[in-house]
Amino acid sequence: MPHNTDTRDTGASADDESRRGFLERTAAVAMAGGLAAGYGTLAGHAVRFLYPADTGAGVWQFVCTLDRLGVGESLSFTMPSGARVVVARQSADDDAEAFIALSSICPHLGCKVHWEANNDRFFCPCHNGAFDARGAPTEGPPAAANQHLTRFPLSVQDNLLMIQVPLDNVTVSDEEATA
Amino acid sequence: MSGLGAWLQERIPIRGAQLQELTNEPVPHHLKRWWFALGGTPAYLFVVQIATGILLAFYYQPSAASAFESVRYITEEATFGWYLRSLHKWGATLMIAAVILHQMRVYFTGAYRRPRELNWVIGMSLLLCTLLTGFTGYSLVFEQLSFWGATVAANISDAVPVVGGFARQMLLAGDGYNERTLSRFYILHAAVLPTTMIILVAIHIAFIRLHGVTELKFEDEPDDQPRHFNFFPDHLLTELMIGLVLMILLSALATIFPASMGPKADPLTTPEVIKPEWFFYVSFRWLKLFSLTFAVLSTGFIVAAMFLWPWIDRLLRRITGVEEISVYVGIVATFLLIGLTVWEAAVTH
Repeated sequence: MPHNTDTRDTGASADDESRRGFLERTAAVAMAGGLAAGYGTLAGHAVRFLYPADTGAGVWQFVCTLDRLGVGESLSFTMPSGARVVVARQSADDDAEAFIALSSICPHLGCKVHWEANNDRFFCPCHNGAFDARGAPTEGPPAAANQHLTRFPLSVQDNLLMIQVPLDNVTVSDEEATA
Repeated sequence: MSGLGAWLQERIPIRGAQLQELTNEPVPHHLKRWWFALGGTPAYLFVVQIATGILLAFYYQPSAASAFESVRYITEEATFGWYLRSLHKWGATLMIAAVILHQMRVYFTGAYRRPRELNWVIGMSLLLCTLLTGFTGYSLVFEQLSFWGATVAANISDAVPVVGGFARQMLLAGDGYNERTLSRFYILHAAVLPTTMIILVAIHIAFIRLHGVTELKFEDEPDDQPRHFNFFPDHLLTELMIGLVLMILLSALATIFPASMGPKADPLTTPEVIKPEWFFYVSFRWLKLFSLTFAVLSTGFIVAAMFLWPWIDRLLRRITGVEEISVYVGIVATFLLIGLTVWEAAVTH
């Protein structure tokens, strides 16, 4: 920007100086503010871009007809990701409350629990967490923090038991992994 | 020849004498003891990691479908692939060990004290970056242990108050490990963290040059000896010797104990015995001992205390009047660190 070399009457110069100083400061603040706002918006967009987009709550899938499960019985449901969910019937009622669908994901740190038939419990090998058949914590960090195995939402429509499952988990289709 | 010299001199207008003046820091005499040259060791290994890492990146594919296969290709089929991958793996192990040893040396000699507090903070940031790079790098192999290690770590961040959920989403690109997770680990491991570390190392060295190395005097040093020697070439030669020994050590480790492949990641089955890399044994054991919230909060508290140690140390010295208080704290912490690590290493669960 070319410098202002204008020479003026000395009488008005003090006033001029302060006015010019004010304008310069305002311009500097405005420019800095504009830059900060511009780059700030870009940074905001970057964070929004990196934050995963909402994939929705999942889809409803058919499990079985209600008469398939007697009270106290359970079955293993396979999710789209390949993970297994234990679905059990706890009462004779014909609503979703009568059923329970337990996730095999440990609520402590996300490892997979497995059923230990000899100990009558779900066991998590990562940090020695254990759960009873209803998903209540009995040992390890989950017991200390009273974390239950997560339940999947269930619903009953026209005598059919439905389960809501997520679609977004990683699936390894390679045979090596499942062998 | 002098024509070429003049041509260069005109385009790069700096003289040999000026260059020497610029690089020739007087080095305190105690740096002739090798353990005081430990700061250069992680820097040297960092360069090894960058070189081998760039080579590995030519073949590595950061996707759940092909990551494991590409690592297998590097290990079993690419010419010298096993050697370069093993160098990278052992380089990481030695680099983390070297960073810890360097930090312990700085700690026990009180070299972080006024006016060098900020450089200690930079050093702590470098330690965290090194551990994060080790963690993300291990995850890239996409074998069972590294997959479940990453899952566990991401869920640990979920337990951090306020920002935890956000951090986990940012790390995993979703609620759980999914198809977009591995590319995050890759870009953090190969671009974001190394760039951050290069900048931090530059600031770290700039601080050392500005303050000079902490002056220490040993009892067995005769008084008539000169107190300083030249960086160039004396200290540089020491560093080169350490570099040579490291290269031999790395090469031997890579050849005798080459990096292997575990079973491929299976999101449906957590292995019966799960362990993180050795440098996270401490926190893994800590997680088994306490509830998640306590373990995460206490770990955060310890890391924060380590960052602020120069000021905490000053406060403790003023309160207790014990000049070596940090040494006693350090001895207890070291035994705790070793004890928990050995405990985790010794048992299966």
